[in-house]
Amino acid sequence: MEKEKKSDSENPLKVNRRHFFSQLSVGIGSLALGSLLIPDLFKGKGEGLLGQELGIPHFAPKAKRIIYLFQAGAPSQLETFDYKPTLKKRMGEDLPESIRNGQRLTGMTSGQSKFPLMPPAVKFNQHGQSGAWVSEFFPHIAKISDEICFVKSMHTEAINHDPAITFFQTGSQQSGRPSMGSWMSYGLGNENKNLPSFVVLTSRGKGNSQGLYSKLWSSGFLDSKHQGVLLRSGKDPVLYLNDPDGLSRSDKRHLLDKVSSLNKIHHVETGDDEIESRIAQYEMAYRMQMSVPDVMDIKKEPESVIKLYGEDCQVPGTYAANALQARRLAENGVRFIQLYHQGWDQHGNLTNEMRGQAKDVDQASAALILDLKQRGMLEDTLVVWGGEFGRTNFCQGNFNPDNFGRDHHPRAFSIWMAGGGIKPGITYGKTDEFGYNVVENPVHINDFHATLMHAMGINHEELTYKYQGRRFRLTDVAGNVVKDILT
Amino acid sequence: MMKKTNIKPWVGYLIFGLTVFLVFCLIFESSIQLPSLVAWLGRWHPLILHFPIVLLVVAIFLGLTTNKIPKLLLVVATISALLTAISGFMLAADASEKGDLLIWHQRLGSAVAFLAVLWYVLVTLNLARTILIKVLQVVLGITIFFAGHYGGMVTHGEDFLALPTLGNKSNIIPENPLIYAHIVQPILDDKCISCHNGNKKKGELLLTNFKEIKKGGENGEIIDETDYKNSTILKLVHLPLEDENHMPPEGKPQLSISEIQILERWIALGANDTLQLSHLNSDETLVGLVRKLQQPTVKKDWSKLPEIDDEVLKNLNSNYVNITRFANQSNALNVIVFTAPTYNDSIFIELDPIAKNIVQLDLSALPLGEQAISFIAKCVNLEWLEVDKTSFTDENLEKLKGLTKLEVIKAYDTEITDKSLAVFENFKNLKKMYVAQTNITINALDAFKKEHQNISVDAGINPSIETFFVVKEKDTVAVKKEE
Repeated sequence: MEKEKKSDSENPLKVNRRHFFSQLSVGIGSLALGSLLIPDLFKGKGEGLLGQELGIPHFAPKAKRIIYLFQAGAPSQLETFDYKPTLKKRMGEDLPESIRNGQRLTGMTSGQSKFPLMPPAVKFNQHGQSGAWVSEFFPHIAKISDEICFVKSMHTEAINHDPAITFFQTGSQQSGRPSMGSWMSYGLGNENKNLPSFVVLTSRGKGNSQGLYSKLWSSGFLDSKHQGVLLRSGKDPVLYLNDPDGLSRSDKRHLLDKVSSLNKIHHVETGDDEIESRIAQYEMAYRMQMSVPDVMDIKKEPESVIKLYGEDCQVPGTYAANALQARRLAENGVRFIQLYHQGWDQHGNLTNEMRGQAKDVDQASAALILDLKQRGMLEDTLVVWGGEFGRTNFCQGNFNPDNFGRDHHPRAFSIWMAGGGIKPGITYGKTDEFGYNVVENPVHINDFHATLMHAMGINHEELTYKYQGRRFRLTDVAGNVVKDILT
Repeated sequence: MMKKTNIKPWVGYLIFGLTVFLVFCLIFESSIQLPSLVAWLGRWHPLILHFPIVLLVVAIFLGLTTNKIPKLLLVVATISALLTAISGFMLAADASEKGDLLIWHQRLGSAVAFLAVLWYVLVTLNLARTILIKVLQVVLGITIFFAGHYGGMVTHGEDFLALPTLGNKSNIIPENPLIYAHIVQPILDDKCISCHNGNKKKGELLLTNFKEIKKGGENGEIIDETDYKNSTILKLVHLPLEDENHMPPEGKPQLSISEIQILERWIALGANDTLQLSHLNSDETLVGLVRKLQQPTVKKDWSKLPEIDDEVLKNLNSNYVNITRFANQSNALNVIVFTAPTYNDSIFIELDPIAKNIVQLDLSALPLGEQAISFIAKCVNLEWLEVDKTSFTDENLEKLKGLTKLEVIKAYDTEITDKSLAVFENFKNLKKMYVAQTNITINALDAFKKEHQNISVDAGINPSIETFFVVKEKDTVAVKKEE
């Protein structure tokens, strides 16, 4: 396994001001003479990570990889898994101020004088031995409810898509930090050296959707080799991966060897680590020319699997195709597979749009769980399904049960997780009868991150990277592992 | 100041010579090879180091209290400091790897010697101005302290001087535990007694023993036997975390859900100290909670695995063979082999030296041959084996009989038949087996499942669920255009 540079302090190019002065002051105090005689005194030592080596988990992990089924736009918790009959009983009534309790609103509802409670747009039933409530929009997920753990007490601080999704991906509302998948790649390294350790697949539903940008899977200040690689649907999953016509594989090999020897000379001269990672990336791209087409080729999948995920999975670029792809990538040792399905932003026409969105993802998400399970992969693969925040229990605009929408709501929302060290068949956390506030076992995004890292064998407090004079973590200065949902 | 005494001139040369030698040691330390006799002289370092400490401290004390410092004292102190530093270098030449502690000890020790020499030189040349010499004495004193401290840590360990802490009692729960003594009190010990103990009796409440728990605190009893829900202790732990009266207070380690449930059930059952697990009905929730505590945590005994060197792992890793330690500093290995364009069973020959360290082995979808199988058989500590999507057969599995530690086997999509079930039976630690898409017949598997309820057998997706997924009216399938 590849040993990474432990910290930027070992890089001779990166002696920063703080570092310089701290070394200097020590030198003056005790060994003014000695410092002149020991040439490497200013280089510093023991500045690496807190006793932790990269590429190795801190403790035996329960999960070796994560498949994150991100529902971009934020599906309503009230039409998915958080059943609130009170909303039906008190339908049309104004949301009591004692419940709203000063919650800030987005520009879309802040002008409203009334906040009429809106009942769920769909019927709910209890399923499985666990008796989990699942709406009728999700008949397939309902079937596998005994395999998954519903967390109904998620909460966040952001109320708009961009900061909220950035928060979920990077642990910070402001962009610029490394994405979750990049942190995992940085901490655990590649399982399969012929594929990137962090892969992104996107799809789009018919519902009202919000943008996705590559900053969400950026490696931030981490080495660029940890960046998420977007696999596109269609002929060229990775752009510019294929060689131009007339260039044979042996020519290419020859070319790479020459380029790399030139790069190595430059690396010796400058000591810039980014050159090393560039060499590594060229080499990986060379191997990916073989491995990617192989992984992406779903023609080898038997009929039974195609039917399990739904016929949609044969259409490249659909959520179902991506879900099947995700399983294939997981089988091939990709650590972090991030799917995004756009179109969950129901400010209006919620009933119809959500039905369509649910149809896109319901069967394939559930099929993925079943498929992983029969392959024994649910043992060590953690699947997460959820959006960036919840939605209001009151309607946006005037009260009209036939066509309504819900605005953004950060205080409570539901996600589910399965496999990889998560207890199956449980529901964790509770909201009040209005589905507005968390009343039991709140799980903040930082806690969620800490828990995922724990499942992967990483102590979230110890995986740090020093940048601009201070150490950063995915959870920064917060986060508690939610031990109650771990096996 | 000090008057000149009759110190012989050769003393000055000796000090000069030793100083030059010490400087030489500092500069060329890494490149000099010491004869073994010289290295042996280094062993005297722990003996002579006490001389400069005592003599210099005495000299500093005399100097700072504006007493006269006998020149002879200074001479002996300086020479002993130089000898100590030089012998230290000789001793360190023995050490295989220098830690940060040792490096700092060396630097500071050399600094002590140099400062002593400087002091001697200043006194000899009559350049000693009171204020200058005082500063020197203070700096020297501080340097001696730290040099000595680091040296002490090198010999006695870094936490030798750490304050004593309360040791973690290992907590083994007997087969038929007393609910109070073995289950409840340890929870209180863990989460409550840091504030409710003899020394720090918050709210006049002691939770250290049964009598005191029953007695309660300043607000009376904390347990209500007649109506358990009315017990103060339960009310307080159930309050929301933000509530001022919530226990344990915000910021302290909180009780987990199952710990709260245990407390609740214990109180509901009368909160006495004689209740034992065997007294309870099997449908009592407390039974399940206690049984769960009794299960050993997943800490596996990997400590007996042979040592393995980082360098070995580095050399064995390749683009298609991924070998990682299971956790930091663990000798347990996780090995995954991916299909290389030029795959060949011979790769396993190289892996031979680490066979005993492999705990998880993933050989999915490889064209496995005989060599691979005999390699697997050598991995006697294997707990997790993936041979799915291969041409793995009954004969192959038969050869793996000796892998008694196996807990998980993934053998779906292989050629094994009913015959293999007899082998699976023999894996005493087996917990999970994945055998979908094999030639094992349903009847044989059902019989196997019945007989071995402790093994979870996965033979594919539950047919009733699969039907729900697969059988669809075709018109509901919306096919989207490719974007």
